[in-house]
Order: sequence, then C-alpha cells, then structure tokens
Amino acid sequence: MRFDSKEVSHYKVRTVTNDPIVLSNLLAELALRQLPCGGWAALASSSQPAIEPTCYSALALGSAPVGDIARAQGFLLRTRNPNGSWPVFPGDDQEGGWVTSLAVAALRDLVPAIPARLQGIHWVLNCAGKESNWLWKWKFRTADRHVRFDPEKYGWPWFPDTVSWVVPTAFSILALSQIPCSCGGLESVPFRVDRGIEMLMDRACPGGGWNAGNGVVYGTALAPHPDDTAIALLALSDRGQYPIVQGSVDYLERVAQTLTAPWSLAWAILALAAHHRPSSSLSSSLASFPDLSGIEDTSTLAVVCLALDQPRALQAFGVTL
Amino acid sequence: MSLTRRDLLIGSAALAAGAAVTAPFLLPKYHSDQRPKRSRVAILHAQQYSDQLDQILAAGLRLFPINVRGKKVLLKPNLVDYIPGNAINTHPLLVLAAAESFRRMGAESVLLAEGPGHQRDTQLVLSQSGYQQYLRDEKIQFVDLNRDELIRTPLRASYTGMGDLWLPRTVQEADFLVSMPKIKTHHWSGVTLSMKNMFGVVPGARYGWPKNILHWKGIQESILDLCATVPIHFVIADGIVAMEGNGPLNGTPRPLGKIVLADDPVAADATCARLMGFEPGRIAHIGEGSRFLGNASPALIDLVGETVNAPGTSFQVVPEFRHLRAL
Repeated sequence: MRFDSKEVSHYKVRTVTNDPIVLSNLLAELALRQLPCGGWAALASSSQPAIEPTCYSALALGSAPVGDIARAQGFLLRTRNPNGSWPVFPGDDQEGGWVTSLAVAALRDLVPAIPARLQGIHWVLNCAGKESNWLWKWKFRTADRHVRFDPEKYGWPWFPDTVSWVVPTAFSILALSQIPCSCGGLESVPFRVDRGIEMLMDRACPGGGWNAGNGVVYGTALAPHPDDTAIALLALSDRGQYPIVQGSVDYLERVAQTLTAPWSLAWAILALAAHHRPSSSLSSSLASFPDLSGIEDTSTLAVVCLALDQPRALQAFGVTL
Repeated sequence: MSLTRRDLLIGSAALAAGAAVTAPFLLPKYHSDQRPKRSRVAILHAQQYSDQLDQILAAGLRLFPINVRGKKVLLKPNLVDYIPGNAINTHPLLVLAAAESFRRMGAESVLLAEGPGHQRDTQLVLSQSGYQQYLRDEKIQFVDLNRDELIRTPLRASYTGMGDLWLPRTVQEADFLVSMPKIKTHHWSGVTLSMKNMFGVVPGARYGWPKNILHWKGIQESILDLCATVPIHFVIADGIVAMEGNGPLNGTPRPLGKIVLADDPVAADATCARLMGFEPGRIAHIGEGSRFLGNASPALIDLVGETVNAPGTSFQVVPEFRHLRAL
C-alpha cells in the first residue's frame, strides 16, 4: 500500500492566515501523503520515505488534528544514524547530512527526543565545511581562487567532506540558535553560530541575496535565488541592522512579487514576515496558486502550509518576532 | 654471474611489490569497452527556435536506424538556472520537437527528467525558462531527478573511486535515454555537452546543490564514471544559440545555427567540440571517453547531414582552457 488509506475530512484550523480553508485542505492532503512508516516521501508518487519532507511535514502539521505526528516523530527517531546524525532517507549511507539540523528542529517539542536532539546537535557542532581545515584554507588562498570567498569564514556543508554552502549553514544556525544554553559540551555553539553568520555575510551576492553560495565566480557576480535568500534571512532574523541583510530583504521583497513557483514564494513569505515586511498580499497570491493540493513535491506542499501559518511556522524554526 | 635461490626470491618479491604499486595506474579504470565499431553523427542546420524544428528534427532522426517502438524514452535536457538573456538551458521548443518525434516513432512513453544543479526550485526554473506551459499543453510528464526515488548503483568505472552513487529510479527504468545538452563552454570542465549533461541525473537531495561531491572527486573523472554507468543512447544537442566564455551560466550567447544528433555521446561531443573550434582530444573526458565509451576519431564517425566546419573564431573560454582551441 502506498499511502495510508484513512479518510481525512475537512476541519477548521486556528490560524492567522486569510485562507483557512485553503490551509485546511492542504494539511489534509499532507496528512494523506503520510506513509505507513510515519514518514513522507519527497514526491507524491513515491513510497520511499525521506527526512527532509518528513521534517517539513511534521512542522507543518504540528498540533493539527490530522496526520499522525507521533508516528512521524517515531519515524525520525528510528532513522537516526549511530553517530547521532540523520541520513537523507532510511537505508542511506550512515555518515549523516544537512537534514540533521532539520530533524533537530522537527523534534523540538518532544521531551523523549531530548537525548536524540542533543546527539544531533553534537554532530552538527562537529561538522564543518572542508575549508575549515588549514590545508584547504591554504589551497583556497593560493591555488584555487576563482570563486571569491574568505575560507576563514566557514559554515556547514550539505554532506561531510565538502565545503560550506548557504542552505545547510542557515538551517544549522537555526537549529543551534534554539539551544537554551551553551554548556555541558555545547560551549562551542556561540562560536559556530558566529562563524556561520560571518560565512553567510561573506557569500552574499554583490547586489543582495544569496544563491547556493557562490557570490562571484571568475570575477562575475552571480544572481541570487529567492529560496536560498529567504532561508538565509530566516537564520539572520536578528541581524536586520546589517546592510547586507537589509539589501537582501529589499531584493527578496522585490522579487517575491514576480515569483511563479510555490516553493520560492512560500519561503519568501516566511522570511519577509521574520523581517517585519508586509506579506499578506503574497500569502493571498500563494493561496490562489492553481491546484496547490496537486503539487507533486511534498516538501513544497509542507512549506506552503507553513507559509500560510506564519507565526507558528516561525516559532517552529525558532525565529522570534 | 650466477643467481642464487635467495636472489631469485628477493627479485620475485621486488617485482611483485613493484607490480602492486604500478598496476592501479596501468590497469584500465573502466569495466567494459562500450565503443561501437562506428558511430553516426548528423549536423542539422537551424537558424532559430521556431515551429519548424519539429520537421527539421524529424528529418534528422530518419537518418538513424533508431527503434523506440514500445520503449520508455527519457529526454534529459540541460536545465540549470534561469538568467534573462543568457543561453543557459536547452530550448523548450527543441525538447518538444524531440518528444513529438519519439511519440510518432512509437515510443510507449516519453518523459522529461532533470535535476538542476544550481537552483533548488526546479519548478521555478521550469516556469521561468518557458517549459511549464509547454509541458502542460503537450501533456509531457516531468520528473524532478533531484527528488526522485533513489537506488544505490555500483559505478561501472573507477575514475573517482566513489564505488557507487545513489541514482534516480526513473533514469534506471528508462529504455532509451536521450541526452539533450546546450552546447556551452564551462569554466570548470572546458565544455558542457552530452556527457557533462549527465551531472543532472545525480540527485541534489542526496548530494547537495551544486553537486559538490562531483567537483571534489574531479569533474572530468565524475563525467566518465557517470557515463560508464548510465548509458546515453542518443544525443540531440542544442547549438542553435550556444554559449561561449564564462559558462555554464554567465557566458555570452553565441549563435551557431546547428543541432547535432548522434548515436554515440563521445562522437557527439567530439563533433560539437570541433564545431566550437576546439581539439576534442584536449578535453579530458572526451579524450579518455574515446578509449572505452565511444568514438572521437573522425575516421570512426559517419557524418551525415552537414559537414564539420570549424568556426572562423573559436569559442571564447576562460584562460585555463585556452589550450583547447584548435585554431
């Protein structure tokens, strides 16, 4: 059986969105896509569960009366690697990856998951972009200088043994920022968060915003991406005074009006809300996208749900308004 | 001088040790020689992207003894990112023409699949680059290879030493894979043609954006491992408007007016390289690929359609790849 066969009727959800019916329909669709194992697959047509869509879905469903959040949390706890990290999907290699920071966020309200979250946090702290090593620093300073960046400012890679990139760094900062204290083996949290923020500032595109992490290559400024920019801005929600952040919020506000894809628009809405920019008209645009329930990509569906329920979504990511 | 038994033993041990050290460098890094005896390439003339492409491509495909009847055809265009005015992506009209041709040739199904290497929002790339509307109108299914189901796949060459990769189920289940690159220069690999286009089958969800592990393992090496493992059955290269300079994103559009068809990716890429004014043997993955994946030598390529006329001026490249120029 591919999906759970239970019937999910429409229900009312308390949200601040102007489109509660749209949201309740989307949450119901999301709940229907939950697999018997408790996880979600990346695509609606797939039955291979994966961590990223499961984390977004668990965050989106939260306390909604649909979906089995306990089963989702159980799935996340079962799929951990022995080293405390999370794989991309069950059966993947066990070295761990960037989704660890997402899983830590998705389990934040579950008391029995505290040991697993702590182990995950330790893994995140021990993981760093390859340029943090002196040998690679030297390489990037001397022989490999086509991409403009400062190797002293490192963050997190998608996967171990590669360099830092914007999205995994932003999610790691968000996960570490939720730690209530930097004690008991977590003393390096402030240092890593600061380094990560420096890295994000260093990798910004010259005109504002971020792409995967290459601002300038062969002397040419590369264009920013709305989704990467928005995720970076979520991690920098308390750094609104920085000119780079202000410029990037301005860029995102401009480009959001033109976005024709729900994933990017949903992230843009969350980031603009986090930076106190108006986003209600964007939310209405998002809610009026044709056939949102039919979105094949489950992560997109979940992030759309989060964007239509901003305050709860921002709280879930640890962003305080 | 007489050899004692002790001398023989020491000599044998030294020989064995020497062989153990040098053998990895001398043994081929590919598992099998996949080269056809001869390859066929067609160069078609097309000045612009228009509805005429359907007829041009259909005529071109008739030059090849292709049988796709009852097969699942997968079209793999080059969709990386969208920057207004830049010739980054395979043009959607050429992809549509290919889909229509293979449908007419009796394919069981024709689907489009790609995993953009730069932009995580695949839907945005599809929408901005003009694909989305065409796909909807023509009812062509699209699979996002960055997020497809994955199967651990042993690599059939060992240039990177990775051993295996997680690769999309959709790609593995296709009967007939058509690589549809944009003819471009590339600041890390010299060119990006049908073989480099296969980076798009490596899933971003597993390997990140960009697919950084392939860069660390060596771009040329990764291309060879991928192409040895995921066979390209046919090539339709978009050189109507190509790209030169700081490709694959920020180069300059270069009108070339050509579509290149081939039944061998190495022959296709070698021919495209010649059309760009490059010496194919100087491009590492084409040179090495000609040892086991396909034919690069003009003597082994049956050229139909137009002949290869090297341009008056080679394509511009970043300084590191100036040695590629044949002129």
